[in-house]
Amino acid sequence: MSTTGSPGTAASVADDFVIALAGGDLDGAFGAVSPAAEVVIHPTGRSGGPQVAREFFREALAAFPDLMLTVTRRTACGNGRVLVELSLEGTQAADFLGAINQEKHLDLEQAWLFTVSDGLITAITGYWDQNKLYRRLAVKRLDRIAIA
Amino acid sequence: MTQTLEKAPAEVVGEFFAAYREQDVPAMADLCTDNADFHYLPVEIWGKQRVVRGDGKIHGIGRVIWSGLITAFPDLTNEVTSLSTAPDGTVAAEVTLSGTQAAPWGVIASKGQRFNLPHLFVLHVNADGLIDNITAYWDNASFYRQLGHAEVD
Repeated sequence: MSTTGSPGTAASVADDFVIALAGGDLDGAFGAVSPAAEVVIHPTGRSGGPQVAREFFREALAAFPDLMLTVTRRTACGNGRVLVELSLEGTQAADFLGAINQEKHLDLEQAWLFTVSDGLITAITGYWDQNKLYRRLAVKRLDRIAIA
Repeated sequence: MTQTLEKAPAEVVGEFFAAYREQDVPAMADLCTDNADFHYLPVEIWGKQRVVRGDGKIHGIGRVIWSGLITAFPDLTNEVTSLSTAPDGTVAAEVTLSGTQAAPWGVIASKGQRFNLPHLFVLHVNADGLIDNITAYWDNASFYRQLGHAEVD
């Protein structure tokens, strides 16, 4: 992915976050996240501060060592919000969100809404279909996620 | 690119979800272009021969899905929790849909359960004030759990 947002804009802050993540650079990504940022990751049921998002991406990078993030659309809105739609792809190499590792390939569309203020990300909200993620990872039942 | 608009995109999107609350599918469709594209990304039905996806046209699969949801969930409603508009007419709408199941929805038999589910809709409103693209994200695992359905279909 290339940075297309002008330097210092909300779009460029979101772009840089995703570029750092795609490179596995959690410190680089979260260097632009406010310590007071509000995070909601709907499919995981997790919400809280920036550590919630950092932990999610740490787990994703560990579970999918060949993780590839491909931005399909980036939309800068007028209220400091930036929508990043991306495809997350990789081959499972460790348990992830309760799903045991069966070395399956994951491809998943995600949408991330960032709120940027004064050059810092102050909110992150994630949307995707966890059922599709489980299907890709060969989970059969929602009440027995960890049983192949 | 910034559009010169007949009507503010957020206003059009607000009307769209108001029509959805009224369960008025023709009014929802009237707010869209004749050839509007439809992408409900979580819709992925695996059959023996092929996979049916929620991709197509608003006036085709879109209307079928909206009408089917209203039939299965007769009290279906929505709450728009945020709207963010881009200069090109794209609107990101965070919307919570809720309803009580009264009839089968796909392979999910009705157990009379109620759901409440955050969605993200990405809509594009053209210069004529009509929606020409809808993409939606939500979590079917949460939807299924709330309806009492445990299989990953």
